[in-house]
Amino acid sequence: MSSAPGKVLLEMKGIGKSFPGVKALQGVNLTVREGQVHALLGENGAGKSTLIKILSGAYTKDEGEIFFEGQPVEIRSPQDAQALGISTIYQEFNLARNLTVAENIFLGHLPKKGIAVDWVQVKQRAREILDILGVTFSVDTLTATLSVAEQQLVEIAKSLNRQTRILIMDEPSAVLGEKDLEKLFEVVRSLQAKGIGIIYISHRMKEIFELADEVTVFKDGRYVDTRLISNVTMDDLVRLMIGRELKDVYPKRVVAPGTVLLEAKNIARTKLVHDISFTLRAGEIIGFAGITGSGRTELMRAIFGADPYTGELRIDGQPYKPRSPSDAIARGVALVTEDRKAQGLLLKLNITINTTISGLKHLCRYGIIQLSRELTLVKKFIQDLSIKTPGPNFIVANMSGGNQQKVILARWLSIGTRIFILDEPTRGIDVGSKSEIYQIMDELTKKGVGIIMISSELPEVLGMSDRIMVMREGTIVKELSRAEASEEVVMSYAVGSEIAAH
Amino acid sequence: MGAVVSNATKRRSSILDMLLASPIMGPLAALVLASIFFATQSDKFLTGANLSLIIQQVMVVGTLAIGQTLVILTGGIDLSNGMIMALASVLTTGLAVQSGMHPALAILVGLFVSIAFGLLNGSLITGIGLPAFIVTLGTYNIAYALVRIYTTSTITKLPPSLLYLGNTFNIGGTEITYGSVLMVILYAITWYVLRSTPAGRAVYAVGDNPEAARLAGINTKVVLTGVYIVAAISYGIAGLLLVSRTGVGDPQAGQTGNLDSITAVVLGGTSLLGGRGQIMGTLIGALIVGVFRNGLQLMGVGTIYQVLITGILVIVAVSIDYLTHRGK
Repeated sequence: MSSAPGKVLLEMKGIGKSFPGVKALQGVNLTVREGQVHALLGENGAGKSTLIKILSGAYTKDEGEIFFEGQPVEIRSPQDAQALGISTIYQEFNLARNLTVAENIFLGHLPKKGIAVDWVQVKQRAREILDILGVTFSVDTLTATLSVAEQQLVEIAKSLNRQTRILIMDEPSAVLGEKDLEKLFEVVRSLQAKGIGIIYISHRMKEIFELADEVTVFKDGRYVDTRLISNVTMDDLVRLMIGRELKDVYPKRVVAPGTVLLEAKNIARTKLVHDISFTLRAGEIIGFAGITGSGRTELMRAIFGADPYTGELRIDGQPYKPRSPSDAIARGVALVTEDRKAQGLLLKLNITINTTISGLKHLCRYGIIQLSRELTLVKKFIQDLSIKTPGPNFIVANMSGGNQQKVILARWLSIGTRIFILDEPTRGIDVGSKSEIYQIMDELTKKGVGIIMISSELPEVLGMSDRIMVMREGTIVKELSRAEASEEVVMSYAVGSEIAAH
Repeated sequence: MGAVVSNATKRRSSILDMLLASPIMGPLAALVLASIFFATQSDKFLTGANLSLIIQQVMVVGTLAIGQTLVILTGGIDLSNGMIMALASVLTTGLAVQSGMHPALAILVGLFVSIAFGLLNGSLITGIGLPAFIVTLGTYNIAYALVRIYTTSTITKLPPSLLYLGNTFNIGGTEITYGSVLMVILYAITWYVLRSTPAGRAVYAVGDNPEAARLAGINTKVVLTGVYIVAAISYGIAGLLLVSRTGVGDPQAGQTGNLDSITAVVLGGTSLLGGRGQIMGTLIGALIVGVFRNGLQLMGVGTIYQVLITGILVIVAVSIDYLTHRGK
């Protein structure tokens, strides 16, 4: 697997990047050699994507230096990255679906003969590239008719055509089935043999051990360590990924679970979610852990009535069959979505409208909203949740992440929600607001509310949950009590290396 | 950020912010400035009779623009509105004059057909998920064809009851038509509904972000379909105003109603992206067009130059709006 170290292609030193209020990346080092597969490992939000966006020119770094073949370089735009021979294959493909494979491979720089496109050359060279990849489909195939795995190969072919020296692959296996995985590995190895340096991002331990020569671990936007794969075990890597101290931001929870609020039996959603059964009691917080794509969000959307499902749900022992979010809301269920801006907030509208939108009927008399009652209610929540704003008419787009999240919480609190589903409730939120949100959660449970929390931050899962469900590949693989759970155990079930962990 | 700002400065800037943020301030300022300008150019401009005339001139497009505003607030667009208005007006006049139907019943038929078109627009957009532009382009042509199939000649000799909205009453020596008053009342009702009812809030929410609105418990399909139906009612009423103003049922009418109403909406500061805008802005937008046309007419500027200036006005207004909201 690990070949003799090739010449150093890329060296990144002390790379840092900040966004308003967040240090996304700090002190990151990365060295990529010719013909090497270098894996990047870290939890969600650890900074992997920020780093590859800096490399591909989508973001510019704030600190640090980049050297290409020993020469200092600046990557200010995607064109700069391309000129250096750095290509990226994102999870979302960048293909023109209505063009042929050959056209896609040459998109943007079709060879010309006079003023006309030299189609003979296009097809011939496209064929040659596909042959290198061991691909059998015709270069005249319409891209839209290809399978996901085949489209990925077209993306790889595109980058080969651009004289790529470094290929960044962002979770290439996430979109593939088991069968296509082998093919992908073969292709990666053949690229390696051609001397291309590959930066490979994946959550799956098995893959990293099978493909990578070296691995760099990130944690909370910081560089942790770089190790040779031949010198580490899965346990080592898990420890490097999560090994940080639990900070004292979590309230000490005294739990006395009450009656069963929500019961789920054999919930399934096509291929995404299957065989899910659990119960949620009043006053309880259940943490759902797992990696991206383990089906947690899909499960919760089903329980909230946002997507169709099969199986049986009960609230207070009574049948509950949500066919739309409004059905769920009527039964006291709320979903705080993972993506606040795309699915939670009405960004261009003000705090008042965002807060009361789901409970207007409680504020109406004869079908007319009592504006003064509404204002009083909103002001009360601004005070209770200490939402920082000049006033209730402030447009939510201009608020910080933490305050935006509080507005969403206010929305659901204002209508007496009994079952809260919180999907990544503190993502992109500063530590101060995080701790306030944990306080709110704790107080809610004291009032008999049941909370389901999806989180990819293990300290949060461990710090807040009374019970932990670990999901992998669409189902619950393990239920852990607070006492049984540790970061190592949860992570090992989440990534499927539990054998190694025991 | 983090700098110490004195309370006074803060208060002043927040009042200023509020004024600047209020989407109708810009259009209102433009309307006032234009009126001052034309008042200096012509003695006739600021007379009661002339102002009443301006309102009569904008009454039809102004009423069409009520529906158009609702549709645009949801992030859609309605190209069919002028033709729905034309269809309602020729059916109402034709049935009353040629088929001897009671005028009240004929009016109801006209409104019923308008509502049917609104339902068709709304259900194609929500049911199949087609873009509003395409659906209403289709229904524009369908309504146009139906008008011409029904009649190609102008319907005249209307019964007085169909012309009632053109009658006037006198306030301080100025004759005002009932139609003008009806338009203003429709604006007031729409303003109240948008501001103070759950349905009005839902219009803004769906326009801002349909998925977030759905996840907040709003039935987005019902809201959208409802908006196209309510909009169509405003087009039907615009048809009655048109008949009262021209005194005939005109099969050639309404062909530019879509663009004229969109002009009023845009000049009124409503975003074509949905979710942002004010109904009263549209009324001001319609009045801006009316004031410019009327004022230029009084100055002796030809019709075609009035159109030219309207075009420039739209581009300037939207540029200002874009530049002030960019980066927010």
